[in-house]
Amino acid sequence: MTTTYAEFTLPKRKRSDRSGPVKWILSHTLLYWHLNIVMIIGAIGNAALASVVPIYIGKALDLITIDQATSKALIQISLVIAVTQVVRGVLQFGRNFGAELIAQNVERNIREELYVSLLGKSMTCHNLQPVGDTMARATNDVREINFMFSPGINLVVGSANFMIMPLIFSPQYHPALIAAPLFYMVTYVLSLWQYLHELSPISDGVRDAFGRLNTRLAEALDGIETVKGMAQERQEIELFQGNARSFRDYFVKQGDVEARFVPFLLMGIAQAGGLFHAIWLYQLGSINLGDIVAYFGLLLLLGFPTFVSLFAYSQVSMGVAGARRILELINRETDLDQNLRGASDNIQGQVEFRNVSFAYETGETAIGEINITANPGQTIAIVGQTGSGKTTLVKMINRTYDVSQGQVFVDGIDVRDWNLEDLRQQISIIEQDIFLFSRTIAENISFGKPDAIDSEIEAAAKAAQAHEFITSFKDGYQTVIGERGATLSGGQRQRLALARAFLTDPRILVLDDSTSAIDSTTEDMIQRAIYAAAEGRTTFIITHRLSQIRWADLIVVLRQGRIAAMGNHEELLASSEAYRQIFSDTDS
Amino acid sequence: MGFFSGLATEAYDRHYTDRELTLRIWSYFLPYKQRLFWVIFLLLAIAASAAAVPIMVSRGVDILDESPNDGWLFILSIAVLVAGIFTWGINWVRRRLLARIVGDVVYDIRSDAFVASAGHDLSFYDEFSSGKIVSRITSDTREFGQLVTLITDLISQFGQALILGGVLISISWQLSLYVFGFLPILYFASKGFRALARTVTRKGMRAMANVNAAIKETVSGIAVAKNFRQEGTIFTEFDEANQSSFKVNVQRGMILSLVFPSLNALGGIATAVLVYFGGLTAVQGAVSVGAWFLFLMSLDRFFFPVLNLSAFWAQVQSGLSAAERAFALIDAESAVVQEAEKYVPILKGDIRFENVCFRYTEQEQVLDDFDLYIRPGESVALVGHTGAGKSSIAKLIARFYEFNGGSILIDGLDIRSFNLHQYRSQLGIVSQIPFLFSGTVSENICYACAKNNSTDIEHTARQIGGGAWLDSLPNGLDSQVGERGGRLSMGQRQLVSLLRVLLHHPVIFILDEATASIDPFTEWQIQQALNLILENSTSILIAHRLSTVKAADRILVLEDGRIIEEGDHTKLMESGGHYASLYNTYFRHQSLAYVEQSRDVFASTAD
Repeated sequence: MTTTYAEFTLPKRKRSDRSGPVKWILSHTLLYWHLNIVMIIGAIGNAALASVVPIYIGKALDLITIDQATSKALIQISLVIAVTQVVRGVLQFGRNFGAELIAQNVERNIREELYVSLLGKSMTCHNLQPVGDTMARATNDVREINFMFSPGINLVVGSANFMIMPLIFSPQYHPALIAAPLFYMVTYVLSLWQYLHELSPISDGVRDAFGRLNTRLAEALDGIETVKGMAQERQEIELFQGNARSFRDYFVKQGDVEARFVPFLLMGIAQAGGLFHAIWLYQLGSINLGDIVAYFGLLLLLGFPTFVSLFAYSQVSMGVAGARRILELINRETDLDQNLRGASDNIQGQVEFRNVSFAYETGETAIGEINITANPGQTIAIVGQTGSGKTTLVKMINRTYDVSQGQVFVDGIDVRDWNLEDLRQQISIIEQDIFLFSRTIAENISFGKPDAIDSEIEAAAKAAQAHEFITSFKDGYQTVIGERGATLSGGQRQRLALARAFLTDPRILVLDDSTSAIDSTTEDMIQRAIYAAAEGRTTFIITHRLSQIRWADLIVVLRQGRIAAMGNHEELLASSEAYRQIFSDTDS
Repeated sequence: MGFFSGLATEAYDRHYTDRELTLRIWSYFLPYKQRLFWVIFLLLAIAASAAAVPIMVSRGVDILDESPNDGWLFILSIAVLVAGIFTWGINWVRRRLLARIVGDVVYDIRSDAFVASAGHDLSFYDEFSSGKIVSRITSDTREFGQLVTLITDLISQFGQALILGGVLISISWQLSLYVFGFLPILYFASKGFRALARTVTRKGMRAMANVNAAIKETVSGIAVAKNFRQEGTIFTEFDEANQSSFKVNVQRGMILSLVFPSLNALGGIATAVLVYFGGLTAVQGAVSVGAWFLFLMSLDRFFFPVLNLSAFWAQVQSGLSAAERAFALIDAESAVVQEAEKYVPILKGDIRFENVCFRYTEQEQVLDDFDLYIRPGESVALVGHTGAGKSSIAKLIARFYEFNGGSILIDGLDIRSFNLHQYRSQLGIVSQIPFLFSGTVSENICYACAKNNSTDIEHTARQIGGGAWLDSLPNGLDSQVGERGGRLSMGQRQLVSLLRVLLHHPVIFILDEATASIDPFTEWQIQQALNLILENSTSILIAHRLSTVKAADRILVLEDGRIIEEGDHTKLMESGGHYASLYNTYFRHQSLAYVEQSRDVFASTAD
């Protein structure tokens, strides 16, 4: 049994309960138990004091009709109403702001928890997870959880109290008067349950239909040159109208369900029935006229929960759905561990794949039956289509991915027996999409060696053929990259990444090279940089460049995750017809 | 117009006068005017029946006060019940009708907007981002639809308030004055809160955007951070943004939390005052107790219309500017103007430019007095530096842009006289970034052809490299290409779009060659596909590859919109002129000779 550690953790964090979305949110909420108490007290007080108004109006009415009230008595009642309503404002603010504070705190903490867990996850996990999807969870879904508290739960708790108050205050006039509010509460819960269940699949339908409409529209407009060039406008219009029509149909369907919102009907019935009931009791002499008025006023309070339930509950359920998605991402466990007790040594650079295969979690095999041996200092060129498994293959060397079967050895030791930190520090991977942080060029180059001095950085940039373009910027090495700074071409980004690698001086270099030089001078520079980087290192290069292929010590051609051909230039010329064609056709 | 309008204006936006805008909007409702009439009628009925409830109740209080055992009371209770059911029932019908009207009107505007967009020429798309056009077609129309719903809701609220207001005045104008005097206070208070809320919300959004940017940067940069074990550094950066967003949003939350409590307290005080003065009036007998109670109930019913009114104009304005944006898209004028819609016969592919002038904008003249003749079946490669006019020539032949002088003749016929649909059906165009639609490979190959000729597709696909490329796809021709073709490599995408053209048998073939790097195996297959097309079409090739240049019958060297050299590769190389120097700049590194020397040259000169 091995203990697994995340690749990054923060010390001293209270761990949340991650066994289910509701429990998870609850465990976050309970950290702020005092705010919950403020919210609940505020909600109860707000509803109770709101009930004071009809009750005292009833009292006033009795004063007027029965006692021919004095101005003084009326002033007393008015004062009670005015004071309680101001106090009510304070309590309602407590409820709102309490909910708001919970919402903001939970949002911040959940975002942090998600972020820390993302940092702690292995690269396998990240590579299988599209960036856009992670972003959606870290931004929209986190927001949904905020909205779930404010206004969601705030209104649910608030309105529930408005439902309860008529139940509490009605019996003081006559015990039987509890009937109307009780009737309403029971039927309200049932009909709301039914409403939400009926609505939810339709809302999903509306969302999906809108998504389809938008996606295809964006595609058609991005590909407008193709559409027009092939004279397919009419077909695209038909397609668009079909999608727009289907959205319209879902929209109408949703409108139909929302139109028939039964709680409004129930409220009307409860109020009229209550009125009838009270009048009857009055005629029997059991209650006063003021009691009728007060009671009817209490029944009017039911309007708030009825109206609010149109959206408050779906807000809460959207929050839970968001929590489920985030939690799912957080809980996606990683198989990699730090392996602190593993081998720790200077790598020489011998790499061997022995019967390696890798399958995704879905069971889909990405690569299989891979046997490759690379000796220290050799250059291995890997050629193949998108989806042929090139990237997966090379990322097994630094355990970005772990093999499903077989073994990968570095210096004869299984990579899983190396100390992860030592292994990764001596292997440098330059990805196809080179990511640079919005910082200065110097900081980007020294990212893997933050204490590097300027002369070291410059030497690395020179070796990577990057010095020239860097110094062509006004701020040179201090130029900030990114949205508000310099924009760099693919070739320039690649050379910065190479400079990064020169600085950390890895024993094994993995280069996913997909740049293409428009002109021959740039190509000269890229070639020079790559030859320099490969010098004295075991280098795996995923490449389209004929010269890299031509001069590699070993060429591996992948097709659908299998090795289709392997050997050096001369061997492939002899064995592969396609390879022969490539090296003859172009210059015939 | 509107609060956000400054952020989203485009050059084709136009200002419609209120009258134009109203008429335009009305024209979309016209087909549904019967339903609209019913909706408005029902809205008034709802207002009346909703107002009737408090009036009847107050009447009931009076009857109870005067003659408690009156039989009318039960009828009154039943009337209240009926009014409740009636309000709900009519509302049901009204909302169903409204959903249909809004759904249909939004559909119609969307449809018009897309038809117009499909008709705009490519200069339009060069200028305006397709993302913004999409949002006009989908989001802006939706916002307009929401405005319609909002207005109808407000009509019924106001109707109810007006009816009640009328009744109140008829009972006691003094007390009414008091109630109405309270409304402006409420109105300005809520307007003040809105202004405040808008400021803090804007701040909150900005802070949120910062966090999201921080997350985005690090989520994309996680691989780098991990490779170099720098997780701690990027966490600190994220944490700062997260904490500062928290602070700003708590401030925002405090302001928003204040709104309803303050307004409610205000309403409570108004009620208290009304209880007192109204009560005194009732004691004096100037109004009945029922009437006094009606005033109190009405206060609540004025509350929401006034709150909504304070937000109303901002919402109406943003809804109308959304409609305006959609209409501007529909009305944008096309730059390409056909002088006639003549039937286009089967063409031979004879292309002639006579004194053609062309510019994208006023300042830069791309082609000036340009002459060119391309024989039917000839293949011509255009080479030259960026901005020499290569793609302009290709785009003019495709009639994607309007030219400013001279004439372009295809088979001796004026290109401006063609029915564009028939003309373009005889073209085959492959753009620099080949575009695929999500779907299967075979659907993409067959984008413009009659369906169900799978044997034809298969046959064509197998012509290339013996079909080996199909074996490298997970499901052959049935493989999904993903959104915009993202699951295929650049080379495969190019191959698919070439096959699309090949199956189309175009008379004129226009290729803007991709500059992306493509693996040598695919590149060899692309060359094969290209050769098959070149055999049967007049071809205009904007060439970036040495092999393509060499395959052309004639190479035109362009500079500043003029042809400065022409001939085939060997002849031009021998003459050692402009082409030879272009070759040295752009094509030298693609030759096998370069590949053979590379190790000796670069490995030795490294560092």
